Amino acid sequence: MSNNRKKTTITLASVLAASLALSACGSNNGGNASGSSSPAEGNSSKGAPVELSWYTIGTPQKDVDKVMQEVSKYTKEKINATVKMTMIDWGDYNQKMQVLTASGTPMDIMFTASWAFDYVQNARKGAFKPIDDLLKKEGAGIVSTLDPAFLEGSKVDGHNYGIPAYKELPSQEVWRFNKTILDADKLDISNVRSLESLEPLLKAVKEKNPDVVPFQVDKNYGPYVPYDYLIEKFPLAVKLDDTSYKVVNVLDTPEMKQALKTMHKYYTAGYIPTEAATTESSSDVMVTGKWFADKATTQPFADNLWSTSAGYPIVSTPLSDALIYNWSVMGSMQAISANSKHPEKAMEFLNLLNTDPVLRNMVDSGIEGTHFKKIDDTHMENLPESKNYDMPTFSLGNIMLTYLNPGDPENKWDEFKKYNAAGKPAVLLGFNFDMSKVSNEIAAINNAKEAYWAPLMTGTVDPDKYLPKAIEKLKAAGLDKVMAEAQSQLDAWKAANNK
Amino acid sequence: MASMTRSRDFHKLSLAWNVFFNLIAAIIAIACVFPFLFVTIISFTDEKTLARNGYSLFPKKWSVDAYTYLFKAGDQLLRSYGVTIFVTAVGTVISLVFISLFAYAISRKGFKYRNFFAFFAFFTMLFNGGLVPTYIVATQLLGLQNSIWALILPMAVNAFYIMIMRTFFVTMIPDAIIESGKIDGASELGIFLRLVLPLALPGLATIALFSTLGYWNDWFNALLYIDKPSLVPLQSMLMRIENSMQFILQNTNNPSLGVGILQSMPQDTSRMAMVVLATGPIVLAYPFFQRYFIQGLTVGAVKE
Repeated sequence: MSNNRKKTTITLASVLAASLALSACGSNNGGNASGSSSPAEGNSSKGAPVELSWYTIGTPQKDVDKVMQEVSKYTKEKINATVKMTMIDWGDYNQKMQVLTASGTPMDIMFTASWAFDYVQNARKGAFKPIDDLLKKEGAGIVSTLDPAFLEGSKVDGHNYGIPAYKELPSQEVWRFNKTILDADKLDISNVRSLESLEPLLKAVKEKNPDVVPFQVDKNYGPYVPYDYLIEKFPLAVKLDDTSYKVVNVLDTPEMKQALKTMHKYYTAGYIPTEAATTESSSDVMVTGKWFADKATTQPFADNLWSTSAGYPIVSTPLSDALIYNWSVMGSMQAISANSKHPEKAMEFLNLLNTDPVLRNMVDSGIEGTHFKKIDDTHMENLPESKNYDMPTFSLGNIMLTYLNPGDPENKWDEFKKYNAAGKPAVLLGFNFDMSKVSNEIAAINNAKEAYWAPLMTGTVDPDKYLPKAIEKLKAAGLDKVMAEAQSQLDAWKAANNK
Repeated sequence: MASMTRSRDFHKLSLAWNVFFNLIAAIIAIACVFPFLFVTIISFTDEKTLARNGYSLFPKKWSVDAYTYLFKAGDQLLRSYGVTIFVTAVGTVISLVFISLFAYAISRKGFKYRNFFAFFAFFTMLFNGGLVPTYIVATQLLGLQNSIWALILPMAVNAFYIMIMRTFFVTMIPDAIIESGKIDGASELGIFLRLVLPLALPGLATIALFSTLGYWNDWFNALLYIDKPSLVPLQSMLMRIENSMQFILQNTNNPSLGVGILQSMPQDTSRMAMVVLATGPIVLAYPFFQRYFIQGLTVGAVKE
C-alpha cells in the first residue's frame, strides 16, 4: 500500500518535471524559429499571401469577418497579405490579451494603449517587437504622415514599440455647462477659468434652480492642478514648469490644498451632490439634464459631440492649457507582437492602414454600398446595415483619413491639426516610470489611498482634518520609497536626455 | 395539565421560540428572494424614471421597453440562449457519464488500481496547472479555441463530485447487491446500468443539479476560449456588457472613449431584463431536482 503510494508519487513528480522541461523547450524553440525565419519570408514578398492576425478592442461586431474578406482582397493586391481581425470586448481586453501573450498564441498586430493592455508595461515585458528599424523601411509612410511628437512621445526606454493613431495629441481640461440653464439664468462664462471663478455662477444657479445640481461631481473627479502625474490617479507628480524635475506628493502641494479647500467649501454650500464620493458615473444626471457645470477633457468639436449625445446644448470653456502628456500620446496604438512571424508584412499593413484612405475607411466603416455610401471624395453616409459593423474609430489608426459624416464640420481635420500644433509638451513627456522595483509599495499605497481619495477630491470631507491623515497613511504604505525611486529614475532620464 | 406539558412532543417548541425561529427563517428567505425580485422590478421600470428617481420598489412609471428592446435587438440574445441551453444539456449528460463511471470504478473494492485513480482525481483538487498552462493545453494541444467543446469539456469532470459519488456508491450500494447480480450472471456493465444506477438516483440527481448550475452560470471559459459572437453563452454575454460598462465608466476622462461608446451600451433596465432572462430558467429547474437534492447531500456527508 505505502509502497504503491510512493510509486505513484514518484511517477507523478517525474511526469510534472518532464512536462515543465518540455514546455520550457517548446517556448524557446518557438522563439528561435520565428526569429530566424522571419527575415527570409520578408524578402520573398511574392508567393503565397501571408495571413495577419489582428487583435483589437471593442464590442465584437457581426460583420467583422465579412468586412475583413473585402479588406483582404484589397490588401492582397497591395501588399500580398490577408487580414483576420479578432475583436475583444472593452472589459475583457486586458485579461484576455495577457493570457494570449503569455501563452505565446501567434498574433501579428494588437491594440494597446495607456488605458488598455498597458503599452509601457507590456513593452517592457517584451510582448511587442521593437519597430525602430521596421519604421525606417516598411513604415516610411507612417513616419512622414504622423506628427513626429507621437513617435517621439511613445518611445519606451529609447525604442518605439507601437504606432500611435493620428488623432488629437494634447489633452485639455474644460468646464462644461448646460447651456439651457446658462441661458435661462443669463450667466456669463467668459471669465471662468479657475475652480474659484466658478463660485458666483454656482451660487446663482443654486438660488434660482433648487432642483438642479450646480456642480456635478462623481468619484472619478480630481481637481485640476498644474502637475504632471507619474502614474494616473497616483499622488506622485512633477510641477509643470519645474525644470529641476522634483517629484512631489501632490497632496502636499499648496495648489492641491487650495483646490481641496474650495471643493469642500462648495460641498458645504450644497453645490456638489452629497453622494459624489460614491457615484460611479455622471451618466444618469446627463440623461435628466438636471445639472449645471462639470469638468471634462476636450478635443476639437467636443461641444457638438456632447450636445448630440446628451440631446441638449452643452458648451465649454478651457480651465487648463492644452498639453501633451504621455497618456494622451499613448491613447490608442497598434503594436506588432513579439512572436509575430511576419513583422515586415505587419508593418506594411500598418503603413497602408495609416496612409491609404480606402483601406482605412473600409476597416472603419465596412463595405461600400453595404455598410456605407460615399457621397463625394471626403464624405460618406452610414447605411442601415452599419449597425452590424460599428467600430470605435479612434482605435484603428489614423483618424484624419476617415470620411466625414453629414453634419461634420468641413474643416474638422484641419482643426485637429491646428489643435495638435498648439499643444505644448508636458514636463514628463517621454519619461515612463518603471514600477517593477516598487510594485508592492504601489499596491499598498493604492489600497491606503482608496479610503481617502474620493472623499477628499470631491470635497466631501474637510481637508484640514483629513489631508494630514491621508498623507500619513500613504507615507506608512511606503510613499517615500516610491518617491525616492521615481526621483532617481527621473534624474537618470534627465541626464540622458539633457533636459 | 402539568404532566401533559412534561410529556410533550419532543419536536414541539414553545410559541415564543417558534415565532422567533420562523422569523429568522423568513428573514433569510426574504434576503434570498429580494435581490431577484428587485432586479425584476427594475427591469420593468421606465428608463427615464430610473435616471431621475433611482431604484425604487414601487416605481412611478412601469414599462416593458427593456424587454421589447431585447427581443427586437435580440438576435444575439436568442443565440446566446441557444448556446447556453445546448452547453448545459450536453455538458450535464457528459459529466454525469464521466463522473458516475469513474466514481463507480474507484468505489469497487475489487478494482486493483482504485487507490491510484482516487489519488489521481484527488490530486487535481489540491494542485492545478494554473491559467496559462491550462489555456495552452486547451488551445494549442486540443485545439478548442472557438469551439463549443471549449465550454463543455473543461468542466466535464470535477474531482469533488467524483468524491461525493464514490462515497455515495460505497455507503448506499451494499456489496451484496453487486454479488447477487454476479450470481445471476450479469456482466459488469449490466450490474452498473441495471442495479447500481437506479439505486444511485439521488446521488446522480445531486451531481446533475450541481453541473447544470455550473454550466449555466459559467462565463469564464467563454472569456478565455470564445471570440466568435455566435458561440458566446448567456452569462458571458452579460458579463461582457457589465465589464465593458465598468471599464468605459472608469475611463470617461478619455475623450475619444467617452460618449459614443457608452451610448451604444444597453441601458440599466435592459441589463436588468437580461439578468431576469438569464436566471429565470434555472430557477424553474430547481423544483425538478429538489426531491433528490436534500437526500443526496446528506448521503454524501456520511462516511463509513
